[in-house]
Amino acid sequence: MVHVFTYHDKFYIYDTGSGSLHTCDEKTAGYLSGAPVSISDEELKATLADIEGLKAAGLLYAEEPAAYPMKSSEVKALCLHVSHDCNLRCKYCFADEGAYHSVRETMSFEVSKAAIDFLLKNSGNRKVLEVDFFGGEPLMNLDVVKRTVYYAKEEAAKLGKKFLFTTTTNGLLLDDETIQFFNEEMENVVLSLDGRKEVHDAVRKTVNGKGSFDVVIEKIKKFVRARGDKHYYVRGTFTAKNLDFSKDVLFLADEGFDSLSMEPVVTDIPELQIKEEHLAQIEQEYETLCDEYVKREAEGKGFNFFHFNVDLEGGPCLQKRVSACGAGNEYFSVVPNGDIYPCHQFAGDSKWRMGSVLEGTLNAELRKQFAESCLFTRKKCGDCFAKFICSGGCNANNYHYNGDINTPYEMTCAMMKKRIECAMHVLAERKNREKK
Amino acid sequence: MIQTIAKPQEKKVTGCGECRSTCQSACKTSCTVGNQSCERVTREEKIERK
Repeated sequence: MVHVFTYHDKFYIYDTGSGSLHTCDEKTAGYLSGAPVSISDEELKATLADIEGLKAAGLLYAEEPAAYPMKSSEVKALCLHVSHDCNLRCKYCFADEGAYHSVRETMSFEVSKAAIDFLLKNSGNRKVLEVDFFGGEPLMNLDVVKRTVYYAKEEAAKLGKKFLFTTTTNGLLLDDETIQFFNEEMENVVLSLDGRKEVHDAVRKTVNGKGSFDVVIEKIKKFVRARGDKHYYVRGTFTAKNLDFSKDVLFLADEGFDSLSMEPVVTDIPELQIKEEHLAQIEQEYETLCDEYVKREAEGKGFNFFHFNVDLEGGPCLQKRVSACGAGNEYFSVVPNGDIYPCHQFAGDSKWRMGSVLEGTLNAELRKQFAESCLFTRKKCGDCFAKFICSGGCNANNYHYNGDINTPYEMTCAMMKKRIECAMHVLAERKNREKK
Repeated sequence: MIQTIAKPQEKKVTGCGECRSTCQSACKTSCTVGNQSCERVTREEKIERK
């Protein structure tokens, strides 16, 4: 399948079968997309010669490869909900402001230790394992985070394995000691900050109802200064209230953060929910952001925006590309009482409880359902150009919006496709600069 | 005229499962498999750089 698209005055061809990206002139783009174009015999001859050359090289109209999802029975990652409590009361929180529609509680070390044992026991021959500390707010249970890290490292070393740790935090409790611990032990740290003060404070409020921006931004700045070249992301959420979210991303970049992500909200609160009527503006915002992103990169003032990072050259193998995110099969969430869910977005919904790390149980039927869910079980994805990049979307979003993990939600599809086109443009502009 | 911008590197090993779990990245809501790198390739590149 060939996807022809324009970005301002640039014309691109993405070949789904080979995964290659090309640029072309307007007439070639028109010809390939079947649009009526005025093209001379000579031009047509040259275009056809280019097409035939690329076809012969397997880079255009390449047959989509037969691929099968990875049939791994190894567990490689866990999300530990060390705290189902939070020191913020963000309006849009998918996790019910930290409580996950249940009681506010924290995970005991006994449970986190059992989770580490569960992961090690079920990790087969895999050498590198991953744990992310999540909440609620995981720093409300820092002692258990620390003890879990030290325990996991010790046990992994005995088996010749290694852990990579990630923490997602709102930053409110960051202090010097925690920053040092994070820099020593965390492979990645994700810090929540929505952008401009008025945008952040409108939704991310403390328990007392005050905006958290002023406190949080200073703490996150301090953390990033001490972080050096280790991975981190400052991650924001945009809602229907800030559809001009490119301003928030650029605000964060101007504040000195160089590794950024901005995600559409997952909520059913009417005034915050992203709806179909917002789509045109959101697509325009991605372009606005992309233009500035390319400009800053050309000026040597670039930053990293997570969604403009599509890796066409060194990305994952085909098996991974059709296997989706791995939730419910090789990745699970563990909540404070030790119950296992496919991922954090399913946590607390008893329908999706898969077992318990304390009991050492895992529902084989549910796991099979997730293991078999892949690009090919998502019928709508068959004729989509983005399928080998997005892998059929998020199981949880699919379920929450369409009632089925295999039915992609059209809104997230549309946003994903736009981001991928922007990412391809970013890559093309970067390659052009490198040539010069 | 058509010019190639990018094409995938040939993978020496596929389906090895050594890639990072998709949900360990930044988003936690819009996980994108294609944003990931192949750990095998990444590791080999790091070794070459040394």
